[in-house]
Amino acid sequence: MFEVFRRSGHRDPFEHCGSVIAPDPEMALLMAKECFLRRREGQHLWVARRSDLHSFSDETLLEIAADKSYRFPEGYRDVVAKREKARARAKELQD
Amino acid sequence: MADTALVDLLTALADDELVLGHRHSEWTGFAPHLEEDVAFASIAQDEIGHAAAFYTLVAELTGDDRDRLALGRDHTEYRNAIICERPNRDWAYTLARHWLYDTADGRRLEALERSSNESVAALATKIRREERYHLIHADSWMRRVAGGPVEGRTRLIDAMALAFPEAVGIFEPVEHEDELVERGVLPAASEQMKAAFLEEIRTALDRLGLPTQGHAHAADAAEFVASSSGDLISQGPAAREPAEASSNGVGGRSGIHTDDLRQLWEDMTTQYRSNPGATW
Repeated sequence: MFEVFRRSGHRDPFEHCGSVIAPDPEMALLMAKECFLRRREGQHLWVARRSDLHSFSDETLLEIAADKSYRFPEGYRDVVAKREKARARAKELQD
Repeated sequence: MADTALVDLLTALADDELVLGHRHSEWTGFAPHLEEDVAFASIAQDEIGHAAAFYTLVAELTGDDRDRLALGRDHTEYRNAIICERPNRDWAYTLARHWLYDTADGRRLEALERSSNESVAALATKIRREERYHLIHADSWMRRVAGGPVEGRTRLIDAMALAFPEAVGIFEPVEHEDELVERGVLPAASEQMKAAFLEEIRTALDRLGLPTQGHAHAADAAEFVASSSGDLISQGPAAREPAEASSNGVGGRSGIHTDDLRQLWEDMTTQYRSNPGATW
């Protein structure tokens, strides 16, 4: 079993589009081309043995358990307001 | 009046996480490879996040401010275990400490999840979800370095000889622990958790093929080790610095620290001290 990934141009990411049964990578590419690139759906093709793809057996590990607002731009939203306030205060002190 | 015993316990937990988180963060930009740099920086942030959560509980009990608790105290007021303040040395020491600490922390959080104090129990459950990942991270590294090429393995053995004796200090009890145990706030006494921790570590070290005696020198165990090519390499003690004598890691819970904490504190609190009370 091979998993098939395709993309349109060099700037696009490869995306998973399905799977094919084939005896080896060469045949998998041929099968994938016939199954998934029939109508110009893309210009590049990857195949990878399913057994070579790995995932966490326990995907609850991927959940974010605590506050990680510092990883998001929204976490810094009030910085602008604080900067304006600080500038106003600096100006006040200067005058 | 604030619950002094609970405040002391939470402060010790928070200080452990903050100080070790700060040490971890010192690897940012220098970790052995880029992906690990990102991973370890995230773990450092997680630990500091846990510290923030514990300081918040303290602040609720005492009416203090959590930023002041974290950064506005004198270094003599910190209650972290000595092992948390030790410099990073090399990656092997950092890894050995990360593994020992997170294993110990797992024991502690497992007990605190059953705390009679609901806020503490809820927080322990939340933190333990992240610590579970930290342990997977530490275990994965330990297995690879312990079973890898001779240099990494030898460094790990030396690092463990330094870190293991001091890790026991994580279970140095806070002043009024008896009272906390009696009230069910801390459902397991430190002595009890320490025994379970030592058993767990010794079994794990044994499985990794590493010496289980805290002070064992690397040369005793690493005389012939398979190299990455599979050849057996003899590693003489002359090739390395002898392992330093280390303390028993105790004292931190009563504010007796090494100079390592003062140095870390100078660095960590520079910004805060230059403008106390500033918010971000």
